[in-house]
Amino acid sequence: MEKKRAALYRSLLIIFALVALCLLLSFATNNNYYRLMLAVIPIWAVLGISWNVFSGYSGLISFGHAAFFGVGAYTVTLGLVNFGLTPWIGVPLGAIVGALTAGLIGIPTFRLRGVYFALAMLAYPLSMVYVFDWLGLQEITLPMMRENGPAYMQFTDNRWYQVVSLSLFIVAILTCLFIERSRFGRSLLAIKQNELAAEACGVDTFKWKLYAILISGAMAGAAGGLFAVIQLVVTPASVFGLVISAQAMILTLFGGAGIIWGPVIGAAVLLPLSETLHAELGHLVPGITGMVYGAAIILVMVLAPEGIYWRINDLLKRRKVSETGDAPAPVAVSSRAPAMHETRRARSGEVLLGVDNISKFYGGLGAVKEVGFEIHTGEIVGVIGPNGAGKTTLFNILNGLIQPSSGRVVFNGIDITSLKPNRRCAAGIGRTFQVVRSFPRMTVEENVLIGAYVRAENEGDAWRRAAEALGTVGLTGRAHALAGSISTKELRLMELARALAGDPRLLLLDEPLAGLGADEASELTDILKRLASGGLTIAIIEHTMQAMVDLADRMIVLDHGVLLTEGAPEQVTRDPHVIEAYLGRKWAAKHA
Amino acid sequence: MNRKTGLLAAVFGTAMLISMAGASAQDAKEIEIAAVMPLSGPWARLGEESKIGAELAVKQINENGGIKALGGAKLKLVVVDGGDSPDKFKNATQRLVSEHPDLAGGMGAYVSSFTLAVTEVTERAGIPWLTLSYSPKITDRGFKHVFATSPTAVKQADDGMPAIIDMAKQATGKAPTTVGIVMDNTPSPVGFTKNMHGDGLKKYGLDLVVDEQFTPPLSDCGPLMQKVRAARPDFLLLLLTATPDIKLCLEKLTEIGLPRTRLPIVNNGGVLGSPDLLKVMGKDLLEGSIFITANWGAKGQEDFIKKFEDETGEKWVTQDSISNYGHVMLLAAAMEMAKSADPEKVNEALHSMDISDGAATFFPGGHVKFAENGLREEAPLVIVQWQNGVPVTVWPKESAQAEPVWPQ
Repeated sequence: MEKKRAALYRSLLIIFALVALCLLLSFATNNNYYRLMLAVIPIWAVLGISWNVFSGYSGLISFGHAAFFGVGAYTVTLGLVNFGLTPWIGVPLGAIVGALTAGLIGIPTFRLRGVYFALAMLAYPLSMVYVFDWLGLQEITLPMMRENGPAYMQFTDNRWYQVVSLSLFIVAILTCLFIERSRFGRSLLAIKQNELAAEACGVDTFKWKLYAILISGAMAGAAGGLFAVIQLVVTPASVFGLVISAQAMILTLFGGAGIIWGPVIGAAVLLPLSETLHAELGHLVPGITGMVYGAAIILVMVLAPEGIYWRINDLLKRRKVSETGDAPAPVAVSSRAPAMHETRRARSGEVLLGVDNISKFYGGLGAVKEVGFEIHTGEIVGVIGPNGAGKTTLFNILNGLIQPSSGRVVFNGIDITSLKPNRRCAAGIGRTFQVVRSFPRMTVEENVLIGAYVRAENEGDAWRRAAEALGTVGLTGRAHALAGSISTKELRLMELARALAGDPRLLLLDEPLAGLGADEASELTDILKRLASGGLTIAIIEHTMQAMVDLADRMIVLDHGVLLTEGAPEQVTRDPHVIEAYLGRKWAAKHA
Repeated sequence: MNRKTGLLAAVFGTAMLISMAGASAQDAKEIEIAAVMPLSGPWARLGEESKIGAELAVKQINENGGIKALGGAKLKLVVVDGGDSPDKFKNATQRLVSEHPDLAGGMGAYVSSFTLAVTEVTERAGIPWLTLSYSPKITDRGFKHVFATSPTAVKQADDGMPAIIDMAKQATGKAPTTVGIVMDNTPSPVGFTKNMHGDGLKKYGLDLVVDEQFTPPLSDCGPLMQKVRAARPDFLLLLLTATPDIKLCLEKLTEIGLPRTRLPIVNNGGVLGSPDLLKVMGKDLLEGSIFITANWGAKGQEDFIKKFEDETGEKWVTQDSISNYGHVMLLAAAMEMAKSADPEKVNEALHSMDISDGAATFFPGGHVKFAENGLREEAPLVIVQWQNGVPVTVWPKESAQAEPVWPQ
C-alpha cells in the first residue's frame, strides 16, 4: 500500500512539474506565438487524455472523438453568438453536451465490437459535418468583446489562455490518474485485455464502458470548447474533421495507450515538432510538415509499437533486472494443503443450482437438448462426456455467456436465465475457462483483484480479498509477476484465484487440469478438495476420468447435447451407455 | 538507433540553418509586408497564384524605386503557408506577427474561414489586412484593420442574376426567362443560392425550372443532367466546387446534346478559371463556360497582363493573382499617402483612401474607397467566359476583353 502511495505522490509531482515548466516557459519568452502554442498544446493533450480514458483503457478504438470535440466547440460558439453566454459557463456546458453526445453515441454503438465499433464511431463526426453544414453553421466566429474581454474569456495576453487550458489539463489528468488507480480503470483495462473474462468475473462491462465514454466525451467537449475560444473561428470541418479524431488517437498511440502519460508525451513531442517543421521548412517546401510528421509517427510505431512510454518502460525494467542480477525466478507453488478429508461429503439436500430443461440450438443443430439436473450445496459435480457433447456450451449457459433457446436456470431459488454474466458472478457463480483467459498486461495480483471487486466493500477490502485468494491457491510469491509471463499451471491457479476472490457459492471449472502434468494436476485437485471441504460447491468439466472419479461426488454425463445419465462416479463409469459414448458400442458390449 | 538519431539531427540541423539564414537576411531598411496563403493542401494552387501576384507587385515597386515617400525604402514580402485549416492559419499568423513585429500590412488568405482566423490575430496586432475573401462576416465583426476588396458573397448573389441577364441581353437582344440550379452543398454555393430557391428568382423574371443539390463527390451525374434536359432551362447555374464533379457534369451535358453553345452554364468563384483546370478538362469541354468572380484580367490592363504572363509564365491573370497584385499596390499607395510604414498610419491611410487610378485600376470598377467596416464600396463583379481556351472577361462592358457568347 505504501508503495502505491509513493507512486501516487510521484505522479502528482510530475504533473506539478509539467504545469510549472509550461508556465515558466511562457514567462521566459515574450513571443506571443510561443505563448499561443503553450496554450494550445494542453488542449490537445486533454483531447488525447479523453481518447485514452475511453479507447486507451477499454481497447474499444474510437475514430470519432471529433464528434464530442465538435459539439463542445459549437456549444461554446453558439452560446456566445446567440445568447451572449460567456465561455466561462460555455466550456463546462460544452463538457456536459459532450458527455450527453457520448452517451447517445455510446449506448447503441457498444453492441459492436472491434473494427465494426471503430468504423461506426468514424461515421458520427463525418455525418455531423454534413448536419452542421446543412444547419447553415459553416463559418461561425466568436465576436470580439472589446470591453470586458476577460469576462468572455478573451485576453490580449496569450498567457491567460494558457492558464485556462492548463487548468483544464490538470482537471483532466487528475481525473485520469484517479481512474487509473481505481476499480474503474482496472475494470476498463480488464475489458481491453479480455472482455469475456472480465464479464465472467463480475465486471459490468457495459456500465464501465458507458462511464468511460461519458467522462471521455465530457473531456473532449471541454477541450473543443476551449479550442473554439482560442481559435475564434469554428467550421464543421475544423472541429468535426477526421484530423481531430486522428489527432486524439495519434497523440495517445504515439505516447502510449492505456497509461496516463501517453497522451501527455504525445502532445509534448509531436505538436512542437509539427509546428517547428511547419515554421522552419513550410515556406520552402509547402506540405513538408505532413510528410515529416507522418514519417516520425511511422518510425516510432515501428520502433515502439505500443508507444514511447511502454518502450522506455520495458527498457528501464530490463536494465533494472540486469542491474540487480536476479530476474524474478518462478517460485514454487506452496503445497501446504491441510489434511485431506477422505470421507465423502454428505449432500446437504439443499438445491443450489437448478437446471430446468435447457436447450440451445444453433440453426438446426442442437448443442444442448432438454438438459435438466440439480446441483446441491457442498458437492463436487463432474460434468463429463466426449468432445462435442455440449459441456462447455452448458457452462456458458450457466454463467450467462450464452442465452439458452429454451429452459430456465435457477440459482439459489432465483431465476437467473436472463441475467448477464457479471450479475451471475455477483449472485455467486464463478468460473474458469477451458483455455485460460487472463489479463496479460496486469500482474497476477491485479488479475485476481478484478475478480475481487464484485464482493469488495472498498479498494482496501478488494486488495485484501485478492491476497487471500492468492494465498488459498499458493500463488502469493508470484503476486507481482505479469500474467503474460507465468507458466500454464500458474495461469490455471491464477484464474482459480480470480474466481475465488469473488467469493462464489458455485464454482464452474472448465477443464482445470488440461495441459498439466500428473504432479501438477494432483496439486490442483488437492486444492479443489480443500475448497469443497470448506463448503464451496464445484462443477467441473474434465476429460481425465481418473481425476474425476477421485474428485467428484456425483457425475453428469452428456453426449450429443443430451443428458445421458447422472449418479455416483462408480455407478456412472460402469454404465454401458457411458462406455458406449466414450469408447463405442463394441467396447460397451464386451464389458457389459 | 544511430541512424534514427542521425536522421533527427539532420532534420533539426537543417531547420536551424534555415532559420538562421532567414534571420540574417532580414534587413532593417526594408519594409515588411506579409502574405498568408494556403500553399499546401487542397487550396495550394490558388495560394500559389496569390503569391505570384503579390511577388510580382513587390518586384515592380522595388524596381521602380521603392516607396518614394520613405526615401525609396524597399518592400519585402514575407510569405507564410497557412496549411489547410483555420486553426493552422491562426497559429501561422500568430507566429508571423510574433517573429515579424514590424509588419506594415498584409494580405490573405483566400478561403473565408482562413481569412476569419487570420484577421482575428492581425486585428489584435493592429496590422492592416487586405483580403479577397467573399464572406460578409469578415467585415461584420467591427474590426478596424480589415479591408475586403471583393464584393461579398451576398452582394455577388444579389448582383449576379441581373448581371447575367444584362450580359445575355447584350449578346442576343433578349433576356432569358428560365433557369436551373445544380449545386453541391458546400458553403460557397449554399451561400450564393440562399435567396434563389423557390420563387426567389421571380423578381428577375426568371422561372426556376430545376433545382438540385448533392453532396460531393458525385459518382454519377446522369440522373441530375437528365432532369436538366427534361426541364430545359435557358441557362444553368452549375455551382460546383470540385474539379472532378465539374468534369463529370460538363461531359454529361455534352453527351446528352446540351453543349455550352446550346445551354450556357454559370458558376461562381474562381474555380472554373484555374489554369490547372485546362490541363484536366481540355479546351473543348470548357469552351463557352461562364463564371462570376470578384476580379479578373480586364480591358485597360494589357500592359500589366503581358508583363505578368512574361514574368511568371502563367497563361492568364486570375482573380487571385491580380487581386493580390492589387493588394500590394494598395499597401504601397497607403504608405506613400501616410509617409510612414507604421501599421496604424498605413491603416488610417487605407481608411481615408479614395482613388481611381494607380492601384485602383487592378480592381473591377477602377475605384477604391473603403466603407467604415472595411468593405470596398461599389465593388462590382465581373463575368468571365472561356473563349478559345482562355477565360476572358466579358462583362461589364467597360472591362470586357471580348464579347460574350450566348445562344440565340
